[in-house]
Amino acid sequence: MKTNEPDSHDDALRRVLKEWRTDATLPPRFQKSVWQRIERTQASAAPSMWGVVAHWIGAILPRPALAAAYVTLLLVIGGTAGWTQAHQTNARVNSELGARYVQQLDPYQAPRP
Amino acid sequence: MFNSLTPIRLPGRDPMKRGLLILVFGLLAATAAYGCIYLACTASARDLQRSDQPELAWLKEEFNLSDAEFKRVSELHAAYLPQCAEMCKQIDAQNLRLKGLLAATNQVTPKVETAIAESSRLRSECQREMLNHFYEVSRTMPPEQGRRYLAWVQDKTFLSDYGMKQ
Repeated sequence: MKTNEPDSHDDALRRVLKEWRTDATLPPRFQKSVWQRIERTQASAAPSMWGVVAHWIGAILPRPALAAAYVTLLLVIGGTAGWTQAHQTNARVNSELGARYVQQLDPYQAPRP
Repeated sequence: MFNSLTPIRLPGRDPMKRGLLILVFGLLAATAAYGCIYLACTASARDLQRSDQPELAWLKEEFNLSDAEFKRVSELHAAYLPQCAEMCKQIDAQNLRLKGLLAATNQVTPKVETAIAESSRLRSECQREMLNHFYEVSRTMPPEQGRRYLAWVQDKTFLSDYGMKQ
């Protein structure tokens, strides 16, 4: 809940913290182990690129729906690329043969040795 | 029934290996799809290129000629080629003559004028013969294809910019 007197709240907390005393001793290598835990947390929070890929391949890709979608997508991409490339090849061949036909008939366009 | 979000569990199979298998299978499927569709769609172009006279084979396909029409077009083509070769010789000889005259002077002499006129005469004779051939070929085609052929071939010869637009 939002309070209308945040300063009075902070003051109370500060007062309590000032009065707080403990005689408990820290465990050995406390500070080092805290830093180690922080580092471990950061490492797990930002996985490497290979980690992401490996996770995707090992855990996500084998799901039937995703595997089927992946293969279908690649089939479509491969087929579309093949069709596009074939279309370009056909256009090039048609253009070349048309030009060669004209070159056979037009002395001003015929290739000279 | 499979839950679509649950990985396939096959006993004794490493999920990573299974994932890699699917990955490779997908890539192979894409390559196969590419190859099959490319080869299927370019089959007729390859047939054209492999034929004895690719240019005429292209003409037959482009203008949907029947075998009889194609035979007649091929005969006309064969009959025209010697005329065309003869015209090429005359043009080359005239070009050589004109080149020699131009190299020997720095003004338009009567000889140069005569040579230019001869070049023009050759060009118009060449164009007249070509046009006659085009009309003959177009008459052997179905009317619509004949009109399309004439428009196309005239655009490529008479109306050609000879690279001037580049």
